[in-house]
Amino acid sequence: MLLDLSEEHKEHLAFLPQVDSAVVAEFGRIAVEFLRRGSNPKIYEGAARKLNVSSDTIQHGVEGLTYLLTESSKLMISELDFQDSVFVLGFPEELNRLLLQLYLDNRKEIRTILNELTPRLPSYHSLEWRLDVQLASRSLRQQIKPAVTLKLHLDQNGDHSTHLLQTDPATLLHLVQQLEQALEEMKTSHCRRVVRSIK
Amino acid sequence: MELSEYVQRGFQTLADPGSFDSNAFALLLRAAFQSLLDARADEAALDHPGLKHIDPVVLKHCHAAAATYILEAGKHRVDKSTLSTYLEDCKFDQDRIEIFCTEYQNNKNSLETLLGSIGRALPHVTDVSWRLEYQIKTNQLHKMYRPGYLVTLNVENSDSQSHPEIIFSCSMEQLQDLVGKLKDASKSLERATQL
Repeated sequence: MLLDLSEEHKEHLAFLPQVDSAVVAEFGRIAVEFLRRGSNPKIYEGAARKLNVSSDTIQHGVEGLTYLLTESSKLMISELDFQDSVFVLGFPEELNRLLLQLYLDNRKEIRTILNELTPRLPSYHSLEWRLDVQLASRSLRQQIKPAVTLKLHLDQNGDHSTHLLQTDPATLLHLVQQLEQALEEMKTSHCRRVVRSIK
Repeated sequence: MELSEYVQRGFQTLADPGSFDSNAFALLLRAAFQSLLDARADEAALDHPGLKHIDPVVLKHCHAAAATYILEAGKHRVDKSTLSTYLEDCKFDQDRIEIFCTEYQNNKNSLETLLGSIGRALPHVTDVSWRLEYQIKTNQLHKMYRPGYLVTLNVENSDSQSHPEIIFSCSMEQLQDLVGKLKDASKSLERATQL
């Protein structure tokens, strides 16, 4: 699958062959940093002064590179497809190799970042548990009532929530049994077949 | 066990054959247990023809006294001898003591279950459901190809009648972590019960 690059995008990237490889590598580093932390326009100004071009040109160059990397990572295109997509830009061989290296080096991390944009439900973070035995209450003395207290930690979009829950020994065993069945399900032939056929 | 004067007086009246004949005594006792333990018992428990001849005020007093004593006895898990001793002190004759103890013994388990269920507790997990899915792509990320689980915990609140659910997603590794921890808890429980 080849990347479809718009004219505007190609224009922005046209800046890259005009600077040497070290600068392009630096742009690549900035691009990934911006994906991690958000963009910082001051960087553009510094670079613009050093290279003696407008900060807009720098910005477009970096953004063009960012888009190239994120699109390639999102689609998980092969090395060959990436090379062919970049080939149409008519860049020198050395630059193409540099861009491919940037893609391969950063692909995994970019995909992890993109993963955080998916529709999210609260997700499991961790579980703490405690064993208690109730000995008495205001309404009944001399009890022996075992209970398991659970603290469930969930994450949602960076917000952490905790749920304090309790359960009895019988239900605990039931929970373990049910969830073990859930895990086993992935190993069944049906699921294996589905996983094999969707590629 | 501390009982108020009101209760003690009611009990003494109940003991008196002049106020309550044997039949009336047995009926009142049964009515007391029934109104505590039977969820469907209505106000008419005291409306039995065998109790008609007794002054309603006295009837209510003794009924309240009996019910209060039964609850206190259940709360402290009294044994037969404590029960007998107290009834003797209230001047009950041996027959009535026997009837009371038998009735108490028959209803002991239900009484203790009822008393044990009163109280505040954390939301209680009653069940779990799960859903296994295979994630293929989103508009932000293609070719995901990994399994995901959606877990729902059914929870009951002791005070309100609400049944909130806790829903969360997790990966296979996270579910393994969760199951591992729950298994640790149940193994600890097993070891603790064997001590």
